[in-house]
Amino acid sequence: MNEELVKIDDLGFSEEELFSHYDFSEIESEKITAPRYSYWHSVFKVFFRKKVNIFILTLLLLVIIFSYIYPLVVSFDQYALLRDYETWHLTPGDAYRVIGFNIHTLLGTGDTGMSIWDSTWYGARTSISLAFICAAINMLIGVLIGALWGFSKKIDIVMTEVYNVIANVPYLLIVMVFIRILSPSFITLVFALTITGWLGIAYFIRTQVIIIRDREYNLASRCLGTSLFRIALKNILPFMTSVIVTLAAAEIPSYISYEVFLSYIGLGLSANEVSLGKLIEAANGAMNQFPWEFWSPVAIASIIAVVLYVAGQNLGDASDPRTHM
Amino acid sequence: MTKYLLKRLIRGALSIVVVVAIIMILIYTLIDRKNIFAQDAYWTKVQSNQKIVYEFTRWEEYGYLDLVMYTDWLNDLVKSGDLAAEDRDKVATIGKKAENDTAEVTEYVRRFTEYYKSQGYTVKRLEARMMTATKYLNGGKEYLFAYRDKPLTNRLWKYFTGMITVDNIHYVEEDIGERKITFTLHDPAYGGDKFAPAIMGNGTKHKYLLYFDNNFPYIHQNLVTLNIGLSYSINKGIDITNTMNDPQGKQEQRDVIYPTGLREMSADNVHTATYVAESRDKSVITQERFTDDYTRVVLYKSGFSKIGYSFIIGIISSFLAYFIGIPIGVIMARNKDKLLDKIGTFYIIFIIAVPSLAYIFMFRAIGSLFGLPTTFMMEDSGNALMYVLPIVSLALPSIAGLMRWLRRYMIDQMNSDYVKFARSGGLSENEIFSKHILKNAAIPIIHGIPGAILGSVVGGIITERVYVVPGTGNLLTSAISAYDNGVIVGVALFYATLTVVSIILGDILMAMFDPRISFSTKAR
Repeated sequence: MNEELVKIDDLGFSEEELFSHYDFSEIESEKITAPRYSYWHSVFKVFFRKKVNIFILTLLLLVIIFSYIYPLVVSFDQYALLRDYETWHLTPGDAYRVIGFNIHTLLGTGDTGMSIWDSTWYGARTSISLAFICAAINMLIGVLIGALWGFSKKIDIVMTEVYNVIANVPYLLIVMVFIRILSPSFITLVFALTITGWLGIAYFIRTQVIIIRDREYNLASRCLGTSLFRIALKNILPFMTSVIVTLAAAEIPSYISYEVFLSYIGLGLSANEVSLGKLIEAANGAMNQFPWEFWSPVAIASIIAVVLYVAGQNLGDASDPRTHM
Repeated sequence: MTKYLLKRLIRGALSIVVVVAIIMILIYTLIDRKNIFAQDAYWTKVQSNQKIVYEFTRWEEYGYLDLVMYTDWLNDLVKSGDLAAEDRDKVATIGKKAENDTAEVTEYVRRFTEYYKSQGYTVKRLEARMMTATKYLNGGKEYLFAYRDKPLTNRLWKYFTGMITVDNIHYVEEDIGERKITFTLHDPAYGGDKFAPAIMGNGTKHKYLLYFDNNFPYIHQNLVTLNIGLSYSINKGIDITNTMNDPQGKQEQRDVIYPTGLREMSADNVHTATYVAESRDKSVITQERFTDDYTRVVLYKSGFSKIGYSFIIGIISSFLAYFIGIPIGVIMARNKDKLLDKIGTFYIIFIIAVPSLAYIFMFRAIGSLFGLPTTFMMEDSGNALMYVLPIVSLALPSIAGLMRWLRRYMIDQMNSDYVKFARSGGLSENEIFSKHILKNAAIPIIHGIPGAILGSVVGGIITERVYVVPGTGNLLTSAISAYDNGVIVGVALFYATLTVVSIILGDILMAMFDPRISFSTKAR
């Protein structure tokens, strides 16, 4: 038995370090404490941890400024710079010598003195819009149908048959046939690229859903009586976010690629629309004579596609909760 | 296993039918049928009424409608005995305008109209278009005909039922003498002394039904022919099977022995002779060479067929892709997150993100720096260098694909328990990678091999277009630009068949390599 009692005040503890009486609260006792976790906050924290992503984002911002804001400020007219023969088909170096420094002639001039810089960004606007619209439509339909396809056994039977039929034909063939049937325009191109384009995405999502659907935590959730809708929304969708973002990142450049190829074989947009593909097609004829006019839109198209792809991939990586540790 | 495969094959065939039906419905109902004349030189030349009649006859030939000309109807009446031959001449010429008809003509025109209207036809009378009172405008002659659109179901049925034809001795309608099939051990095309078995027919479409020659695959048959549609503008009036299979390029002179025994240097391939009614007596040239009406021959040409070019380029490039892509994929997986892996990943991103047209042009530009030919010259068939760039352009993207997936599969395998177990058992890293991980990771890659080989026949649509390779990939793009609907349908059928077959073959190959995969449910 220790007879000596020590006065608490003598130990020199502050008031907070000592036990004190606390009223019992039923609500408070139910709370579980964990470090604060916000999904999107973590996503961006992981995303910006990589320094290369800041560089990519800056490039992406520049691309968007030049293809969406620049055309609003500068009105592009193919014949606006029509001066004399001396300003036709100039390389950037020659343009600097003949015209002097001018943002329009930064990439030289094309036929009838057309500014390649302006036309490329005007074309980029069409191409990027097309890629984003097609990707948005295909992803939306693909993810929704893919989720249903994965969940419902009845839909699975029907959709698998549909997929087996459609997947036998090369995608490009279907796209080309549809553009041929309808008259070429922006809407036609969107329609042709999306009419069966969602099917591959839906199939991919279906496989992912089936993998996750029967995991133990979902089984437990079902046993506890969670509705299917809530399981889909709260248990499965967060898991799919990174998959969807990664998929979208690969989709967007592929539509830019399709547009370029379709325009190249003369199945692209209508005559009065400018796009990267059409510029490439137009410059292809005189490629040996004026290689500059051909490679400028090709280079810009490649830069745009790579930037979009890398940004999307890295965002996809960052949105995977397993990288948040 | 066999039962399963049979089921797969039937389902595959069914889905091919559905695909072709969909494509046909799209093309034949939604594309304006006038578009098929877009590249027709004759169509741009003919004028006025003649142009309209030309359009209708073409449409009949390409299965859009049934067409009956007034004169043909009269001829049929004469044949069936309802009309005397001398009366026909009286009523055959209709008036320049309806009111100019004689009473007899009016009567027959009325009967013609009534008969075909009751059958659901539309009767069309094109009145003469005159320049002066007596002189016709160019092509302005008067015409009378009836036409009826063919329903698409009818057309689909005809397409699939008429797809395979077996040559028989009742093919020729005219009198041709004794109809028979003969077997000979000494093919007359080689002079009759050399041992060369052949089966020949009389009354059949083809003279030679089976024969040997010194061209790959050495034995050839004409007994069963595949009709997958007629080409309109790409290869006028020729079936798509022939369009894809017949040799191209410039004619090649060979020592040819004709059926009459005449021997000369010529490009005629007498083995391909087909029947053309009353063709022998048309000219002295055919009389000197042929003993019967089997006079239409295919010419020897120096180039390969469209499938041939696509196949050569495709097969070499897929070999190259597997040969290079797999080792690089393994190296990348072994050096994960190191420099080699990063370089490889950069290349993969480049191929995925950059538009395919852009990098093919890039390869072309780089190739031309080394002095490689950038366009395919069929006439210059001896020059092997022209194959280099198409092969490389086709191989480089598939190398990226192989690298990407093999690396992914191997990295996934690297964390599995059996690898940890093998490592704890003391196996060397080399052994683990080559004997265990690669074996497991290669299974999905093996699945794609038949697809790559058969896909090489399809040819790179983009590559062939850029390098002007006269292959099947180029055929599709030119068919679409030229509104050659028959070719589009035929090529779609061809592609769909190849896809179905390659997926089934891939499954079989995968089951052969991996004993865990079994198609029969009982075995488990």
